[in-house]
Amino acid sequence: MIDITLTINGEKRQFAVNPGETLLELLRREGYKSVKKGCESGDCGACTIILNGRAVTSCIVFAVKADGGTILTAEGLENDGKLHPIQEAFLEEGAVQCGYCTPGMEMATYDLLSHNPDPSPLEIKEALSGNLCRCTGYVKQMKAVKTAAKKISGEAK
Amino acid sequence: MSRSQVTKYLRPSTPEEALTLLRNGGKSARYVGGGADVARTLPGDVTTLIDLCTLNLSSIEESAESIVIGATATLNEVLENRSVANVCNGVVAEMMRKVGSPLLRNMATIGGTLVSAHSWSDVIPLLLVLDAEITLYDGDSRTMGLGDLYASRERFANSILTSVMIPVSGPGDYAAFHKFSRTAYDIALLNCACYVHVEEGRCTEARFAAGGTPRLATRLPQVEAALRGEALSDETIERVAQVARDTVKTADDRRASGEYRKQLVYAGVKSCLHEIAQRLEGGQ
Repeated sequence: MIDITLTINGEKRQFAVNPGETLLELLRREGYKSVKKGCESGDCGACTIILNGRAVTSCIVFAVKADGGTILTAEGLENDGKLHPIQEAFLEEGAVQCGYCTPGMEMATYDLLSHNPDPSPLEIKEALSGNLCRCTGYVKQMKAVKTAAKKISGEAK
Repeated sequence: MSRSQVTKYLRPSTPEEALTLLRNGGKSARYVGGGADVARTLPGDVTTLIDLCTLNLSSIEESAESIVIGATATLNEVLENRSVANVCNGVVAEMMRKVGSPLLRNMATIGGTLVSAHSWSDVIPLLLVLDAEITLYDGDSRTMGLGDLYASRERFANSILTSVMIPVSGPGDYAAFHKFSRTAYDIALLNCACYVHVEEGRCTEARFAAGGTPRLATRLPQVEAALRGEALSDETIERVAQVARDTVKTADDRRASGEYRKQLVYAGVKSCLHEIAQRLEGGQ
């Protein structure tokens, strides 16, 4: 076992991990169940988290690799019981059907909007291209990202 | 997916140390760059992983002749870099946008991509035509052309890829990249890259490469010879694309037939050259 330190959703924590363990396995074992297990090969995006500021598929990141790093999961989006604008937007636009892809979509959106506050439709499509949704046709997610961008820029004003 | 066979995850701080760890580990040891490829395709006999991202090799710096990209820079870091954006009308970023998803590009490293040497890689054909060089560390550092590396038998045996150099481009340098895939996110059925240097309306230098043929990308010398000295007229583009179709070596696999791939090379070369011709006309 290898001891690592991670700051997850603002909380600094220590873990003993197996050398071959992935971040997905660690996070789910520790109760971060918004991080969904899907394809486990980096294709579906259900396990997307923010690692050191960028969205990655946690199923193909070795946990040891993240040692000393900062992680944000969908659990960390809400603040004192208040939903994050991205979560509000996904709710308002009905961008959720079965919900399995939603946390991953939200984290990919988080990465996009933190680097590009006013993305074009093409930029939104590119940013969500690694997050598969098997229920919908992605139209509502696209709208949700646009709405989230407006909410966040409105807050900043 | 269980990777429970892994018993050691080592984090060296210098290339010397990494090399010693690999030599000591023998066949059961493997280097890890971004880890995305290793985590997906870890062979059952690998029990020791040696992470190269702890070597501090992820900077991207521009010198007078080239942009030096550290091996563990991620594909997205390369895509977003301003110096890289100046190479041949931003062709590197344009190609990178077609590699997997942003989620993968935030992990996959440029070094890992070149070492994995997947036959369908979009990065390799473009870097081949841009005349990229790499630096290998095997106790000493040595620099060689990326094409020479793939042509040699030893490739990466007992060495660490530490950096990639892409020459800076100047007036008259143009490049284009074209990828064919079933979906934007899928790996290439075939891809091709093209670089030309144009002086007084004529291509004084031309370099082409095709990947996913389905073999590892290689340069296309007969196509290059067909374009050198020519102006990029519609007739020349048509003729060069035909040379590409007739001379490229392709084969069948479960993704596409060799015959179909020849047609894709034709279409890809044509599309790359038309794109460059349009830029020339537009004075860009």
